[in-house]
Amino acid sequence: MMLPAALQFLQKTQNADGGWGAAPSRQSNTEATALALLALTSWSEASAARIERGLQWLIELQNSDGSWPIHRGLTHGSWATAIATLALAGFDDHRAGAVKGARWLLRHRGRTLGWLASLAYRLIPEKMAVQLDPDLRAWSWTPDGFSWVEPTAYALVALKRLNADVGGSAGQHIREAERLLYDRMCSGGGWNHGNSNAYGVGIPPYPETTALALIALQDREAEPANRVSLQRLVTMLAEIESGLSLSWAVVCLSVRGQDVAYLQRRLVRLYARSGFLEETRVVALALLALSEQASPFRLVAS
Amino acid sequence: MKRRDFLLGALAAPAVAMVGGGFATSRWDRAAYRKRSESRVVVSRVDSYESPLVERIVEGVKLCGLSVTGRSVLLKPNLVEFDPQGVINTNPAVVAAAIEAFRRLDAREITVAEGPGHRRDNEYLLRASGLQSVLEQHRTRYVDLNSDDVSPLSLPSRFTRFGRLYFPQTVLKADLVVSMPKLKTHHWAGVTLSMKNMFGVIPGSIYGWPKNVLHWEGIDESIVDINSALSMPRFAIVDGIVGMEGNGPIQGTSKRAGVLIFGEDPVAVDATAARLMRIDPAKVKHLRAAGEFLGNIEREKIVQVGEPIEALAKDFQVISPFQHLKGTG
Repeated sequence: MMLPAALQFLQKTQNADGGWGAAPSRQSNTEATALALLALTSWSEASAARIERGLQWLIELQNSDGSWPIHRGLTHGSWATAIATLALAGFDDHRAGAVKGARWLLRHRGRTLGWLASLAYRLIPEKMAVQLDPDLRAWSWTPDGFSWVEPTAYALVALKRLNADVGGSAGQHIREAERLLYDRMCSGGGWNHGNSNAYGVGIPPYPETTALALIALQDREAEPANRVSLQRLVTMLAEIESGLSLSWAVVCLSVRGQDVAYLQRRLVRLYARSGFLEETRVVALALLALSEQASPFRLVAS
Repeated sequence: MKRRDFLLGALAAPAVAMVGGGFATSRWDRAAYRKRSESRVVVSRVDSYESPLVERIVEGVKLCGLSVTGRSVLLKPNLVEFDPQGVINTNPAVVAAAIEAFRRLDAREITVAEGPGHRRDNEYLLRASGLQSVLEQHRTRYVDLNSDDVSPLSLPSRFTRFGRLYFPQTVLKADLVVSMPKLKTHHWAGVTLSMKNMFGVIPGSIYGWPKNVLHWEGIDESIVDINSALSMPRFAIVDGIVGMEGNGPIQGTSKRAGVLIFGEDPVAVDATAARLMRIDPAKVKHLRAAGEFLGNIEREKIVQVGEPIEALAKDFQVISPFQHLKGTG
């Protein structure tokens, strides 16, 4: 199912430097550019020249250590490295750059809560304000930050796609990150940003992060947590009225081979209503969600 | 829950940063000093969101002596998250009224901007919260501060170790930044008012969702450093018509307080708002620190206009680690 207006929007809003900003006329950033590239490469109607210019922007911005900053002007590696890695992995000629990005991810995981918190969680778990496993590490929004659901999901997808090329500690870190996601799952299934509870009160899941986590865990379908979270997502779907959440939900269900045609039609209707507020990443995700091509987020053969 | 439980249980080290008590002195540059000899704060009784809010806001701005003619105004409501059963966010009726009020006061341009702290789904948040229809009805631009273009600012105070932070250019270019928080208690900082509301200007694209790096550096410390960096003219409108008590800022319960609070000194506004919750501002760590150099928290330095605090103060419940904050101050 095609959404010509969205494709046109994405192509028209490419910046002169080849990248895309979070919204039209904003400075190019890694997340928007990587998602735009993933979207455009999933549609044969997209301009090859625009894809090439976007690709060049991404290649030029990659740091020598393999990471990507969020945009020019910043130098430190960012959470967007995982999405850029995934985008670059789609170009055979640039797989080495993607592998370099994946290796950076393996070297830059999030931090634990520290030995004191770890001890407290062991000795007096009932007194802790937030129930979680303080020793698990996955991926963070910021260098040396605490691990959260969304950056962990992106990193897991990128690493699982490139696992065979990366080797080393990839498998071990992937397993630990999966454990972290399950540890942070909300009561009754699904995920929010990464706090499932506070002071004994459950915090509900969000559809977009639930879909993302399930995309990252699609090769763990035997896990009961996957089933209950998938059911939670389907329940939440009835209420979804936004391009971002619906797009991630469509990707999540389509990589599992489910029929998403009715959801795709809803996505098209939503775009007509709001244009997704002209947010580049949302438009790009919608195009990905509507594409019939194999999704870059698919980790297991159908 | 005892204070010790809170300290041990706090996810992310805000609590760790708080262990040991008060701030050291001289943690700000002379240039950061913004205390005035006195600060004017307007407390306005407003019983419901159906009240004539535009008129009350125009009146509040005028009573503060603020001129907005020809200025670009940025309205920064609190839109951290949405819960259909809760009262987390600044009521959209107040935002709508503020847009209209600042137009009547001849603002050159009005922008509503926020960088939601938990969710990245702006379309959902805006629509579900009711803010989208306000923006459409009033034809007002909205900027997602989480993904705005940014510029670095050196911090003129050093309560955290940041040294500098990136801020959205939309905020830095505004002639007047209006913080529009909800009157709420907060389970890490005691209260969340116009100063804490400025966490929302910190761009998530750099600092994440939640903006947890601020928690690691200490929530109170971050509040002070962020507010010391924002040296442009400021104004605050606190939505206390219905506030939140208990386990705020997300999971607390609604508390009708029937008040709007206005002022140019965010510290004085927050101190007054705290008193309206029967919380002693001098016991709130970030207010006490800000009161040393950013604004006034002492009653004798706050020229209060409108309703007396005693007439409107309500006893807002706080979670047990913050029981020590209770008092009249």
